[in-house]
Amino acid sequence: MRLVLPLLLGLSLTILSPVHATENDEAITMLERMTEAAKELTYEGVFAYQSGKNLQSIRIYHRADARGELERLISLNGAAREVIRSNDMVTCINPEGRQVNVSRRPLGRGFPSDLPRRLSSATPFYDVELGDMDRIAGRKAQELVIKPLDQYRYGYRLWVDADTHLLLKSELVGNDGDVLETFAFSSLNTDVHIPEHKFQPQMSGEEMTWHRSEPEKPLNTAVHSQQSLWRAQWLPEGFAQVAYQTRLRASNGADVEQRVYSDGLSSVSVFIEKIRARHNHLQGGSHVGAINAFGTVMNAHFVTVVGEVPAQTVEKVGQNIQFVGIE
Amino acid sequence: MTAKRQELLSAFVDGELNAQELDELLALMNTDDNARNDYLRYQHASDTLRGYSRHNQPIDLTARLSQALANEPTHQQSGALKKARVFSVPDWFWKQTAGLAAAASIGALAVVGVINQPQSSATPPLAQLEQQPTQTASVAATNRWTVGEQEVEERLNNYLVDHNEYAGASGLFSYARVVSYGEE
Repeated sequence: MRLVLPLLLGLSLTILSPVHATENDEAITMLERMTEAAKELTYEGVFAYQSGKNLQSIRIYHRADARGELERLISLNGAAREVIRSNDMVTCINPEGRQVNVSRRPLGRGFPSDLPRRLSSATPFYDVELGDMDRIAGRKAQELVIKPLDQYRYGYRLWVDADTHLLLKSELVGNDGDVLETFAFSSLNTDVHIPEHKFQPQMSGEEMTWHRSEPEKPLNTAVHSQQSLWRAQWLPEGFAQVAYQTRLRASNGADVEQRVYSDGLSSVSVFIEKIRARHNHLQGGSHVGAINAFGTVMNAHFVTVVGEVPAQTVEKVGQNIQFVGIE
Repeated sequence: MTAKRQELLSAFVDGELNAQELDELLALMNTDDNARNDYLRYQHASDTLRGYSRHNQPIDLTARLSQALANEPTHQQSGALKKARVFSVPDWFWKQTAGLAAAASIGALAVVGVINQPQSSATPPLAQLEQQPTQTASVAATNRWTVGEQEVEERLNNYLVDHNEYAGASGLFSYARVVSYGEE
């Protein structure tokens, strides 16, 4: 079945009209440009994030130059949470909880969040079409409609700046057609120089509790998958491993293995953490916004699957993780 | 201003929106700057008529809206949201060890192995533990994990941060989930 479905889907694509195929190609090209624009442009703006009944305004600064990428997001409502991303580090500041979480990634890798990265492999599992022209944040935007062909992934509606190709608005669409999450710029400036101080956190860090996690093994390719003691026995069609790394959580001394699987548009992470103290853990499903998680305990490890995919997908992936090695 | 938007805004300011209309207005606010500005004018006019003074302070629209929404009863097809189940590592598991070093040494114990431990009143089988009563207390439909344990929530948040590095087509927006976490 693993081979038959892509084959059938591939055949169905080949018999589509030339017009549709051209439109599909255009849409894919636009997605690729959108991905590049997010990494290569310097921009600042404010966007809204809506999930269910929650609506938040967030300011974003993003700078790209020869030194790499630097990004800062600040919540404009309630507690002024911040996330600052640099080439090698993600810093999350929670002033309300007086906590700073620093997660260091392997040096020199830059931002890995450049999905969609394997669009050619994603196309058999989504219907990607150009939508109408629209206007977002005062800019002309091309809508892209991405519909999944099975129930294991969500759909997207994306509005891409016709001028810069930056993503201006994104909707995550559930299997029943409901919009689960919306991100939309209300103001955006792409012709801008952002001074260094704009990337400095508002909080000094004093009187804050710092939590750090360090990459234990700077591995990040599918080549190293065989080193893991765990194996995903089931994944949605088209999902393949795109990253593998282990981090050491300084707060509890636990090694956390993260394996990321993606079809090019959607992704799930499998986290495996050895039980090292008297801990509680998620047993079953939970969610925040459109992100679903499924937790279980296996071989004295917490196994957790997290992804912007339907609950049934993280559950099925989680139930099919298998311990295959001997420590 | 369209008649529909005007009608929604007017009803919202007067507190006459039902849940469905509130969702509709929220969607409008999220996508239409003009609607936000219209709302501010409406709210200001309404407050002035009622004799309230704002002293020209900026109005945090989204905070007000979100608060209003949070106060609305949650209507879901499946009823109230349920807390997720939480697995607790049993005390006896740790009493049989001499601290973390020993814990690490038995880390490779298969679940099956744990189940095969002598079972007394002090050593409930894991199978039973997994069937501990599901926490069914309702939790508010907030922007946070549906778990009641801080430790579990913090671990899931760490995972959320690490996963967002690889988030899908929402790309540049993905860390909004982190900075807005827990805000209502």
